[in-house]
Amino acid sequence: MSQLIDITLTVNDRSHRLSVSARQVLADLLREDLQLTGCKIGCDQAVCGACTVLVEGMPVTACASFAFEFDGKALTTIEGLAAGGVLDPVQRAFLEQNAFQCGFCTPGMILSVKALLARHPDADEPLIRQWLDANICRCTGYQMIVEAVRAAARAGAG
Amino acid sequence: MDDSPSPFRTPVIPLDGPDKVTGAARYTFDLSLPGMLHAKVLRSPHPHSRIRSIDARRAESLAGVAAVVTGADAVRLPDPYYGVAIRDQPVIAIDKVRYVGDMVAAVAAIDEETAYRALSLIEVQYEPLPAVMTVEEALADGAPLLFEAPAGGGAVLVGEGVISLKEPRPNVLSEFGYRNGDAEAVLAGSDHVFEDRFTFSRINHFHLEPYVNVARASSEQIELWSCNQDPFVLRNDIARIFGRPANTVRIHASYVGGGFGGKSFCKMEPLVVLLALKAGRPVRLCLSLDEGLLTLTKHAGVLVLKTGVMADGRLTARNSEIQLDAGAYADASAMTVIKAGYRITGPYRWAAVATRAYAVRTNSVPAGSFRGFGGTQASFASESQIDMIARRLGIDPYEFRRKNLLAFGDPFQPGDSGMDSDLLAGLDAVVDRLGYRRRAPPVAGTKRRGTGFAIGIKDGGGTNYAQALVKVLPSGRAIVNAATVEIGQGATTALCRIAAETLGLPLDWVRYGAIDTDHTPLNSGTHVSCATTVTGLAIERAAADALRQLLEFAADRLGCSTGDLTLVHWTVRQGNYVHSLEPMIDDYFGAGYEFIGRGGAGFAYDPAAPLGARNLFWIPSWVGVEVEVDCETGRVVVKHLVVGADSGTSVNAQACRGQVEGAALQAFGQSLFEELRYDGTEPVNATPLAYRVPLASDLPERYESFVVEHGGPGPFGAKGIGESGMLGVAAAIANAIEDAVGVRLTQIPFTPERVLTAIEGAR
Repeated sequence: MSQLIDITLTVNDRSHRLSVSARQVLADLLREDLQLTGCKIGCDQAVCGACTVLVEGMPVTACASFAFEFDGKALTTIEGLAAGGVLDPVQRAFLEQNAFQCGFCTPGMILSVKALLARHPDADEPLIRQWLDANICRCTGYQMIVEAVRAAARAGAG
Repeated sequence: MDDSPSPFRTPVIPLDGPDKVTGAARYTFDLSLPGMLHAKVLRSPHPHSRIRSIDARRAESLAGVAAVVTGADAVRLPDPYYGVAIRDQPVIAIDKVRYVGDMVAAVAAIDEETAYRALSLIEVQYEPLPAVMTVEEALADGAPLLFEAPAGGGAVLVGEGVISLKEPRPNVLSEFGYRNGDAEAVLAGSDHVFEDRFTFSRINHFHLEPYVNVARASSEQIELWSCNQDPFVLRNDIARIFGRPANTVRIHASYVGGGFGGKSFCKMEPLVVLLALKAGRPVRLCLSLDEGLLTLTKHAGVLVLKTGVMADGRLTARNSEIQLDAGAYADASAMTVIKAGYRITGPYRWAAVATRAYAVRTNSVPAGSFRGFGGTQASFASESQIDMIARRLGIDPYEFRRKNLLAFGDPFQPGDSGMDSDLLAGLDAVVDRLGYRRRAPPVAGTKRRGTGFAIGIKDGGGTNYAQALVKVLPSGRAIVNAATVEIGQGATTALCRIAAETLGLPLDWVRYGAIDTDHTPLNSGTHVSCATTVTGLAIERAAADALRQLLEFAADRLGCSTGDLTLVHWTVRQGNYVHSLEPMIDDYFGAGYEFIGRGGAGFAYDPAAPLGARNLFWIPSWVGVEVEVDCETGRVVVKHLVVGADSGTSVNAQACRGQVEGAALQAFGQSLFEELRYDGTEPVNATPLAYRVPLASDLPERYESFVVEHGGPGPFGAKGIGESGMLGVAAAIANAIEDAVGVRLTQIPFTPERVLTAIEGAR
């Protein structure tokens, strides 16, 4: 029987007290215990970035991180981005630029971009491309995503 | 070509967009049923072995394990095999395993951890057999046989006089033969004959949503929630395998997280049903991406083309022999090899053509559908050789193509439909964007620039069918019911837009209904870039049927004829009078009535067409590339990539662009680095950590795409575009490399090692 650890997490501005197994990864906690299924698991090896969530604003691959590591931390998932039903500028840019196809990578991609623009509001194309390397999209060919990031930057998403 | 303005010029917000940018989109991956168990699969470590025994007793007695399934369970099924046309793949290994990764046993348990632990308790005794890992080994005299007995099913149906054979000789799954005229005689009379050999690599689909299925099954009903893109194909396969009437099998589809062919046709789904039956509880099987890499690939292959040409640059005849590596099981290989064989001529005029194409069994991961479906292999070989011949004859590659291209309306082959794109116009667009005519003269030095282009081609399906319902509520809100699955191609938006336009309704009044084979009209599958065309036609007709009913109803109520009425934004206009429809409907029927329009589209077997159905539309791919080749390292950098396609009419221009660019980047990755590699009998990079797909930083410095609208047979002149970008990229890059450094790469990917070896070999 694996050991349970009591932790406190703030997820999308809501505080949760949870008992987690030492082996539970953050993605499973979010998806199964908190029903935040916008956190997708693709490769399950921290390669594809589909499971990306923000921890204190920093992108983290939730599939390969133990839940207990985030005790006391504030997390943002895709479900927490549209405050009061109003889309975040990054979400709006992805929507308007058609910067998704199957959509499986989209939550992680959007959160990753959110973190990028928070640090580099004027990110240029080389930096955008480099940053997006953490998130695989098999559908779009990336270019429309890069354009969405630029549109979000222009809209002051950072 | 139709010059009428498209009603679809205005960009739209995709209907699936709000769900997808907020995390609300539900995939099969996200489904959980009460009491649901989780399954895991034990896979073969051997490429080819007889299974002497399986002892699963320890696994079965592990706490939390509900069911263990092996070949002993599969063999008791009425028909435990699946595959497209030829059915040789067992629901789970029976007696033998045929590749590293073959499914040997499966466990359903309370959670994945328990299921994994149970797998480690299963003892399998193998008797290793010699393996054949390449097409050459498989075809050698006395080669070990993958199958000792004939498989079920039959050869793929083709037109009269065309050869399509099931298992014609040992280790050959299927054979395709096509002739038009006497190619040998025409070649003998040609001024030049060139023979070249091309080698194509194996890649994986790498869809980010893994293969995932949830089954609930009893003796009365089988219900499956599946990421599969072909709900009705799957329903019929499961009914056959389990010996059930098809109306007791129900398949649900949700959003699909990418497929690119990987999620077409039956695969591990019947295994999940078998587990659910044995466990008596719902079972979810979600494969890892590692397992996905062991489930299906694109076909590797060898293509040998013998092509004749006259001194004036006129192509005469092409005699081709194609061997595609089908891997261990049929999947869609018998169909793929036909398509590769038929498309090998490229979009050119020929006096004679002869093709033999074989799907060869090897002890490797099964190959099957992959965006392009044999067309990518054919276009790489054909468009490489066209360029090689032009350069050998000292003819400009553009002029050489221009001289030989099929003109608008020319049949691809006798009995088939005419070319429905202006191929030269597309090539001109590429050449212009590339600045080909203004290109700088070659510069000496270690980094050399070169330009190349290619015209890929494939057919857009033949015997496809679709039916649709359009339900219009009294409020004017409508639901479209059709079984084309939203896999990221933008079907939801395109198909609803067709219904909305036909009914004169705003797009956001129309919703794409959930798919479930009990309620959704029949569809032959989400295939062949055909959704907008075939399902689109069915929906257009269903919407027109609903419109007719509405106008007849209104004419009856208003005491006029339908010809006096038009429907505009859910009001009936009669001259200058505007009538509200909702109260008219409610007054007559009471609240809540719906008008249901029905429509269908199907294309019958035609023995006079080479492939048994005249091709519905052609999918050209125009590609131009500028590369920089480093002669010291062999590294190829694509500086500029131009990709063009023909949408007929774009129902959603942004989605068309996304299709073209997404497909082209997949082809770009395969051309330069992506490959599922084998070292001996084992795949060496079948894990996401080692398997490299294109990333954003791999994008060419300049990446341009364009979409022309040359008309098509679909609604409003649309045709399919989803596979186009896949077709011409590899050849265009090879052609640009030769232009830059004078060496020819005939094997993809064009790795630095291969390029450097070629450069050094030429010195």
